[in-house]
Amino acid sequence: MRREFGTLAGLLVLCMALWIATPHFLTTANLLNVVEQSTLIGIIAVGMTFVILTAGIDLSVGSIVALSGVAMGTAFRAGLPIFAAALTGLAVGLACGLANGALITLGRLPPFIATLGMMSIARGGALMLSDGRPISGYSDGFRALATGDLLGIPLPVVIMLAIYGIAHFVLSRTTLGRYTYAIGGNEEAAELSGIRVRAYKSAVYGIAGLLSAVTSILLVARLDSAQPIAGIMYELDAIAAVVIGGTSLLGGSGSVIGTLIGALIMGVLRNGLNLLGVSSYLQQVAIGGVIIVAVLMDMALRRRARLPTE
Amino acid sequence: MRSARWSTWIAIAAVLAGPFAWACNRGDDVGGGTTVALVLKTLNNPFFIELAAGAQEAADSLGIELLVQAPDREIDVEKQMQIIENLLQTDIDALALTPSGSREVVPAIAKANRAEVPVLIVDTRADAEALAAAGATVATFIGSDNVEGGRIAGRFVAEALGGEGNVAVIEGIPGHETGDSRLRGFREAISEYPGISIVASQTANWERDQAFNVTQNMLQSHSDLRAIFAANDVMALGAVEAVASAGRTGDLVVVGFDAQDEAVAAIREGVMSASIAQHPREMGRIAVESAWKILQGDSVPAEQPVSIELVTE
Repeated sequence: MRREFGTLAGLLVLCMALWIATPHFLTTANLLNVVEQSTLIGIIAVGMTFVILTAGIDLSVGSIVALSGVAMGTAFRAGLPIFAAALTGLAVGLACGLANGALITLGRLPPFIATLGMMSIARGGALMLSDGRPISGYSDGFRALATGDLLGIPLPVVIMLAIYGIAHFVLSRTTLGRYTYAIGGNEEAAELSGIRVRAYKSAVYGIAGLLSAVTSILLVARLDSAQPIAGIMYELDAIAAVVIGGTSLLGGSGSVIGTLIGALIMGVLRNGLNLLGVSSYLQQVAIGGVIIVAVLMDMALRRRARLPTE
Repeated sequence: MRSARWSTWIAIAAVLAGPFAWACNRGDDVGGGTTVALVLKTLNNPFFIELAAGAQEAADSLGIELLVQAPDREIDVEKQMQIIENLLQTDIDALALTPSGSREVVPAIAKANRAEVPVLIVDTRADAEALAAAGATVATFIGSDNVEGGRIAGRFVAEALGGEGNVAVIEGIPGHETGDSRLRGFREAISEYPGISIVASQTANWERDQAFNVTQNMLQSHSDLRAIFAANDVMALGAVEAVASAGRTGDLVVVGFDAQDEAVAAIREGVMSASIAQHPREMGRIAVESAWKILQGDSVPAEQPVSIELVTE
């Protein structure tokens, strides 16, 4: 838990600095705005946390966002009710994730390679399925997923927090969670102690695919459009959120709470740089700098705790 | 261990100092006086950099603050919406916008309407149908007549080929109003010449390296290709390079759109045939001046066409 306090302190320092620098930051409307903007990357980052906890990586999440969105749009245009169309999108996302899992566990491909391949396949699939064109025109009822609110809190935020709640429960209280940490800590030892490593690892990639699909549904609702070019570079933002949140790329240690704070740091930073009117070029430099600093801090803390850093 | 910690803190300070120094620099103007936000598709295309420069000149001479922001990538409509939402939290008085997605950006325009910030659309139209459906309004549209530009390009290609031959088209991102309009105009003009047929039409997503690859593939599959029309100069320049690497420079007519500096230089050099000049600086200037007029309570026309012309030398 101590690790999350460090990340949380970083978030608070950032907020305080912005509060001093601009009067527009600390308003209810803006804070809701920031959290809402963090939801897309935030949800993908939950799946990414699971994957990275097993010492893996998933580069295909952004492309899966596009493919499941387009699959949903196509199903909807073909006359399926929106609910069934959304389920189609979720199924496609889950299938892509499980395919990643199978390639990694049965095909023994390194996760980097398997998901790099899927990144291209899913993107190409999205372009083929949609003929390169966005699919728009959804009902207001569906769009309420992105525009509606529950007791004043935007619905995407409610959905994201629910997902984080479930993920935290899974990681801390269930067999799947314990095994996720065990596999990342030492895969061989996990195997030897009788854990069905292949099944659990595949499940973890399945979760990442499924959550990408959830994100795609929210994105389609937000833009009123399923875009084959959606989600490019989301994988990197999600990885950044996980790493800033203190989850080790070596696997075995970290938490979704840290990831949530990491996603918020990214969201606050982007929002703050916009509010300050910082040049778009400098914004990219600043965001890169924060990622590097976060990892430097993490390594410094690990050295102090005498944990491995490489 | 100790030194590691020090270097960490120094790094943090350095990273945070940059943006904040920037912000302090500007702090005096932000909040006071009139602030107009200009949100572009991207700031890594000379066209939009020119547009921003024209806007800045007008803002300077009117004494108003101009905030220019854009997503990293031209296609990132979601990031563009976030930028608009964030800017609406500040005291901007007007929003000039080149939509990254004509339909997709409409919810953000509706948000600006609710915040009572007038929206001026520049260069790329917002989708009229989607605007109506969302009950959103825009104050004015400032931009080229892209359909007419496409027609001019089409007639130029047809005449350069003497009314006969196979032509390929390199499209922008599908669904972008500017590209779609240019292609519509181009196809319209070409259809009047029965001897000319469009044998290939593919997207390169507005990007130069993609256009290079697409063109290479087109040259492979259509050896009798005689002309290429690209929906912007960035892609046309990619096509020019592919034509050159196939050793066919001068053999093919390559026409772009925008007449940006590098393309004009290529035309002078003789490696590219023509481009359609838009005047992005002019667009930026009119956008800021119109915003100023609206804020003064004056009215501006709903459509403000900016002139276009064929550039062949």
